[in-house]
Amino acid sequence: MMKRTFLFAGLIFLTTACLKERSENSAYLRWVGDIEQDSQLDDPDFKVCSEKNAIQYFNFSEGLPYVGEKYAIEKEFEEQYDSSVAAMESGLVRIRFMVNCEGKSGRFRILGMNFNYEEKQFDDSIMQQLITITRSLGGWKVMPNEKYPKDYYQYLIFKIQDGQIIEILP
Amino acid sequence: MSNLICLFLIFSCSFLTAQNCDAFLFFKDTLQYEACKLAEKRRGHYQFSREYQEALDEAIAKCDYFSDAYRHKSVAYLKSGDFLTWKKLIDKAVELDPAEHLGYRGWCRYQFFRDYQGAIKDIERLDSLIDYEIGFSANGDYHLHIARAVCYKALGHKEKAIQIIEDQLANDDHLVGLYDYLHLGVLYLETDQLEEAKAALMRQAEENNLAENQFYLGLVYKKMGQSKAYRDCLQKAKALYVEGKKMFDPYNSPMDKIYLQQIEMELDSGQEN
Repeated sequence: MMKRTFLFAGLIFLTTACLKERSENSAYLRWVGDIEQDSQLDDPDFKVCSEKNAIQYFNFSEGLPYVGEKYAIEKEFEEQYDSSVAAMESGLVRIRFMVNCEGKSGRFRILGMNFNYEEKQFDDSIMQQLITITRSLGGWKVMPNEKYPKDYYQYLIFKIQDGQIIEILP
Repeated sequence: MSNLICLFLIFSCSFLTAQNCDAFLFFKDTLQYEACKLAEKRRGHYQFSREYQEALDEAIAKCDYFSDAYRHKSVAYLKSGDFLTWKKLIDKAVELDPAEHLGYRGWCRYQFFRDYQGAIKDIERLDSLIDYEIGFSANGDYHLHIARAVCYKALGHKEKAIQIIEDQLANDDHLVGLYDYLHLGVLYLETDQLEEAKAALMRQAEENNLAENQFYLGLVYKKMGQSKAYRDCLQKAKALYVEGKKMFDPYNSPMDKIYLQQIEMELDSGQEN
């Protein structure tokens, strides 16, 4: 019995070691777009239920999972974003983040480009507003329902023309 | 359960869209054949997964001109909103085989990034390259000429958009898309061609009755001064919306989509008038 237990433990160790090696040697995380917790950047109070089971917002096939839908998000930005103080810059900004099993958002990451798909760092007068308003959005739904909540990845893309938000996606 | 269904569909789709690698042998291109076989290792893996991406990397390492590998790799970046990585990958696919990938890139530029000019450019280039039907959007909802038309509309060229849609709908071979007459009706409404708008939106109701066509038809009646018909349409729009009969795309909000709150606001304003 003892021999079998050691054999089983050894097998688990080898399997785990192999998996770990495969993961460490890979250029990829579990899934494209996964966001690892970064203690330098992220709110330590933001917790996810199950990292390895986090999925994408569109996997629920319900569109944007926000109370009041995209219309409500557009209204928030219309009311809060002040283009009069924003630099006259143009392009797209993506803010990708996680919504946890309690409907709270965290781990925000930013990506920017100009209209030629070239990487671009936007001025703080734009970025600070976009990130602050995005962080404040409180209507993310618990998906797929309260009984079986899952963590999911969400993003918002802002199409900016001369400092003004002209469209929000998705 | 819904997630299981969704994942099932994703995996099923990867099989359904599987290539016939033997086609490369027919053209005596053994390198692409071998790359194609390596790419098949992604089957059964989610397109966002490490395993899926690594199988395609192997295929590219075997044959760096196997364009499909770049396109398949690009999808997860597209769907996660990573426009930079997506564009590099899909550009490579287009460079290698423009006729095969231009329509797809053009559609994605519109659907995911509202890059209207880029989408028009790709679709028109495709049209100039081939002498056969340019085909449909990746999700099948739009003929690419209709997609091109809504891009022109977004850039302010409404008359041109109307002309493209009218020409396409006049084509006997055209298969009516989910939202063709809706977009046309909204364009007529926006250019004050009310009788044409009414006819197009009523035709949309016959083809695919949605909250949106009833909502915009209501606005047509409002402009015509027919207040009862206006309110009736808004009530129908609300009922259809609640039933889930509305424009839908799992990834993005389609152009001309309306939301429940907009219908309710319009209903409230209608009662005040």
